Amino acid sequence: MISQPGSSSAGQAGTGAAWIQRAARRLPRLTYRGQATLFLLPYLLGTLVLVVVPALMTLGVSFTDYHAIEPPAWAGLDSFRRLAKTPLVQVGLYNTLVFAAAAVPLRLAAALGLALLLGGRSRSTGLARAAVFLPTIVPETAYALLWLWILNPVSGPLNLVLAGFGLPAPAWMAEAGTARAAIVLMSLLQIGEGFVVLMAARQIIPRALYEAAEVDGANRWQGFWRITLPLITPWLALLTCRDLVVAVQNTFTPSFVLAYGGPYYATIFLPLLVYEISFDFTDLGLASAVLVVVYAWILLLIWGVRNLVEGLRGRALSHEE
Amino acid sequence: MRSRVGRLLAALAGMGIAALFLLPLYWAAVASLRAPGLPPASSVEWWPQQPHWANYARLFETVPMARYARNSLFVVALAVPLTLLTASLAGFALTQLRDRARRRLVTASIALLLVPSMAVWTFRFHVLNAFGLVDTLWALIVPALAGGSPLFVLLFYWAYWRIPRELYESARLDGADAWTVWRRIARPLARPTAAAALLLAFALYWGDFSTPVLYLFRPQVYTLPVGLQLLRQMDDTQTGLLMAGSVLMTLPVVLLFIIVQVAYLRPRRIP
Repeated sequence: MISQPGSSSAGQAGTGAAWIQRAARRLPRLTYRGQATLFLLPYLLGTLVLVVVPALMTLGVSFTDYHAIEPPAWAGLDSFRRLAKTPLVQVGLYNTLVFAAAAVPLRLAAALGLALLLGGRSRSTGLARAAVFLPTIVPETAYALLWLWILNPVSGPLNLVLAGFGLPAPAWMAEAGTARAAIVLMSLLQIGEGFVVLMAARQIIPRALYEAAEVDGANRWQGFWRITLPLITPWLALLTCRDLVVAVQNTFTPSFVLAYGGPYYATIFLPLLVYEISFDFTDLGLASAVLVVVYAWILLLIWGVRNLVEGLRGRALSHEE
Repeated sequence: MRSRVGRLLAALAGMGIAALFLLPLYWAAVASLRAPGLPPASSVEWWPQQPHWANYARLFETVPMARYARNSLFVVALAVPLTLLTASLAGFALTQLRDRARRRLVTASIALLLVPSMAVWTFRFHVLNAFGLVDTLWALIVPALAGGSPLFVLLFYWAYWRIPRELYESARLDGADAWTVWRRIARPLARPTAAAALLLAFALYWGDFSTPVLYLFRPQVYTLPVGLQLLRQMDDTQTGLLMAGSVLMTLPVVLLFIIVQVAYLRPRRIP
């Protein structure tokens, strides 16, 4: 209800809004900027409490031995030494790298290809655009379960289709290699975010550029290589950084629901690894050490994105001029 | 001539792609109507032979699905409006700040987009515990206070930033406070963004699996995603039942998607 702007909305949300309005009126001494800053407070405070504080705690605990019962005991770099020696951690990190190396380029290529193919404003592709986006918002447990059915080695539709074409029928979740491939395959249909961003990035390229190139005798293929791709590259880089985080994070539910990390630990990726060590082993020192490695990785990505954003500023991102 | 053939090819390719992306959901819907105990299919079933609707009813008898649905609805009913309010206010506030502060906060928000939730799973537990929120539905709702996700704040920010500054300035000169400028000028001009954020926020809270798995332990407070996982743990050979649960859980998101798509996000012809 609150999302729908109107002169007077009825019901609970309406009285809630009226209450906030009265409260806001009682703060007239604040300058306009002061009031605006007040609007930022929930976001800033919430982020502080829910993201920054837990991150700082993780950083601190990574130098301790902590099992959630006795208070943390200083252990120096012991957790990091154990990190290097724990087979489960090595398997989890290895799986994550394999997954990211396969999934991220494929996801971006698919998002870019579909954005270029369906990105025009014609109505005939409207349905396709909606269809491409839809799997992205399907609830993750439901999505995992429907793949449990599709990937069923005996009666699942995917293997029946493959058999119909005379192709070999893999055992999917029952074998290590194909289980990882299955998780990559699942992630390839949930590319709505990159798809939408790349469609928008393409639409803001001025048409005049293509027209000028056409006058100079360039064909469509040259138009793509010389105009579209260079102008879209910063967005692709930005999405790569985000996908290196999001695609990995999103493996949690499929690997949890489909095989709980199996078979033979083949689908233990970072999120499930962190969950296992934190909540099953309650080895919070070790879990924090794993997360500190993740933080280093995230900071590297943020540094990359920061440079990109600086480069993009004044173009589409903020419409500075 | 060439363009007509091209357009036809594009339309055909579009239909093929649409079919590919909708196929998993369609297969699930067909399988949700399959009677239990039938021999496994030897070829793909494209249509349910004898629709067995009882799968949907049995869902509620096998596990307390109605209770899980109530819990999920409670979370969504509180968290989605709260998210839209806090994210919209924060996004608007960003546009009203001085350049330096605005740039810093926007860059920080973009940086936050790169922080996956697993990075703070372990000790968010301790923070929630300190507030007495572990094992209550509030553990799922409380991120809404922070705008749900920096993505929503940025979406609103970009929408409000596109509105000409003069509109804000003239209202300000007329003596309007920030609340009034947000409510009367900014908000009505960013409805499509609000609609998109509504859809994404609903999908986020409705489908959230990791938060309840991490922070909820009493069966009374389980939500639908956990209910589905329980169903799978009890018996994962009951394909019809599992698919019925998946379809039921997906349906509200699809309906909202269609509504939002038709009402706000259709590309308009530019004259």
